[in-house]
Amino acid sequence: MGMDDYSILVVEDNPDDQVLTMRALRNASRYNPIIMLEDGQEALDFLFGTETRERSEQVESIGVVLLDFKLPKVSGLEVLRRIRSSPKTDWIPVVMVTSSDEPQELREAYRLGANSFVTKQIDYSKFSEQMSLLARYWLTVNRVPVMGVTRSFQKGGDGE
Amino acid sequence: MMDRWRWQYWPLKTKLLLLTLSISTLGILLVCTSLVVVENENYQEQLESELHVIADILAEQSAAALLFEDDQQLSTIISSLRQIGTIEQVCVYNVAGRVVSALDESDDASCPALSVPPEVGFVGDYYRLLEPVMLDGDIVGQFYLMSRLEVLREHIRAFILVTFSIGIVIQMILAWVALRLQRLVSEPIFQLSDAAERIARDHDYSIRVPVYGKDELGRLGSAFNEMIGTVQQQNLKILQSRDELERTVADRTSELSLANRELEAFSFSVSHDLRQPLRAIEGFGQALEEDCGDQLNETGRDYLSRIRTATVRMGGLIDGLLVLSRVSRQAMEIKQLDLSAMLEEIVEELRETTDPLPTYVRIQPGIRVVGDGRMIRVAFQNLLENAWKYTSKNGERRIAVTACEASDSITVAIRDNGVGFDMKYVDKLFVAFNRLHTPSEFVGTGLGLATVDRVVRRHFGEIYADSSVDKGACFYVRFPSSIQK
Repeated sequence: MGMDDYSILVVEDNPDDQVLTMRALRNASRYNPIIMLEDGQEALDFLFGTETRERSEQVESIGVVLLDFKLPKVSGLEVLRRIRSSPKTDWIPVVMVTSSDEPQELREAYRLGANSFVTKQIDYSKFSEQMSLLARYWLTVNRVPVMGVTRSFQKGGDGE
Repeated sequence: MMDRWRWQYWPLKTKLLLLTLSISTLGILLVCTSLVVVENENYQEQLESELHVIADILAEQSAAALLFEDDQQLSTIISSLRQIGTIEQVCVYNVAGRVVSALDESDDASCPALSVPPEVGFVGDYYRLLEPVMLDGDIVGQFYLMSRLEVLREHIRAFILVTFSIGIVIQMILAWVALRLQRLVSEPIFQLSDAAERIARDHDYSIRVPVYGKDELGRLGSAFNEMIGTVQQQNLKILQSRDELERTVADRTSELSLANRELEAFSFSVSHDLRQPLRAIEGFGQALEEDCGDQLNETGRDYLSRIRTATVRMGGLIDGLLVLSRVSRQAMEIKQLDLSAMLEEIVEELRETTDPLPTYVRIQPGIRVVGDGRMIRVAFQNLLENAWKYTSKNGERRIAVTACEASDSITVAIRDNGVGFDMKYVDKLFVAFNRLHTPSEFVGTGLGLATVDRVVRRHFGEIYADSSVDKGACFYVRFPSSIQK
């Protein structure tokens, strides 16, 4: 599996931020799939919903999750907690992304097992820089474990 | 140890009993003594008159015999006195004073000579009597009689014995009665003191003493009960108002913590919700500039750049407000801090991010203050950033940090060689959003020194500044030592 196959899962409720994040990530990594989800519930459905083979493959190919802190319905912290408490997903790198830099938020995020914490910069060039650094690091430098059945099956059957 | 035997440690019962007994003893003694004295007098008088009667009779009988010098007759008369055992000596003298007849119990004592008149009356253990013997109005001789007083002595001795025996019996009866009666007085007092002790010990204000009669003790009892009643009521009131106060405090505390939570929620919202649209404006501005820049003319691009600059400035303002609100409400964690090391760190960061101006920073080593590390850092970061900023138009940058320790405080001074300010604006310096320079001169939010002021005041310290235009500025931060707990 090449590094371009790893996907970026973005959970972001604000449409403006969705566009801006997408633009910044696209500038940094032209080929990686970007999955955009709009709230916490959608993220939980995606990760823990009805298990089809296609969905399992999608989950297993996640390179990093950019999780907004403040989300409607189910909060970012709750999504993080669920990701960490299931053996199916507890390996996934999660970067908490927030507009503020409240010390309590930071503390809580790391307590629940966030891998990284990023405050979105108002200056868009700085924000773009952040996104490109994140994509580069988590998709090219960082390593995640090779997962069970699906992936080995894919390896055997796929003559790339 | 000896104290217990002292008068003031005696129980009231004993005192009362002793008092009564002393008085009755004194009374009985006085009565007995008077009785004995009076009895003695009476008996003496009686004895005297008896002896005089005897003497008169004998003198009369012996008058004729004396006249006729009939010694035989005289002896017979006198010897009749032998029957009275107590008579010791009788002498009969003639006119010339010569003893003509005598009766002597003891031989060694002879009749006294009349040339020296003998003592008469009660002398020593004897009663002596000297009477003239008269016949038809003429003195024909003298009659002398001496009687022993043993009868009198016996009588008085017996009388004393009887009197004092009766006295002792009466005293015993009195003691018994006093023992019974003293309870009338001591019992209410005992109950009163017992009640007072119990109240003092157990704080039980429902205790009352029984009231006997309408005398002073009765009034004391009622007054005591009344007093305790008042104390009970007041105690009740105090307890009630204390409960009320506690409830009020609890209410206020919950109101306060609610307000605090609301404030926190507000800051959270501000930090998230105000920044998000700003980010969108700025982001799409840049996207517009990058993606469609060639379709705009010079003016359009200038406007766009102004929009982006304003947006970034507003972001700075929001950040500043958040920091200010955070240092105002967040809980403090008081610790001993190495301020010098902290300042060195801040200076290192500043050196990395700003202009290549020749910079000389001197920080006195070993400055120690007590406070919340994060807040103190925010405060001094602001002060050093200001020093950095307002020296940026000089040929060189000089900053010095010194500390001066007094008995009750430590004052840290941060001095720079920057543009300074006019002291007539010094009051505006620490007020939020008040700036002494235009954005084109020096950029800033007007929140930095307000934040510093807030931090210093939360540490019970004070901040003041000294400067003049183009002569640099000096900020003094004074921390009291009393926070060092």
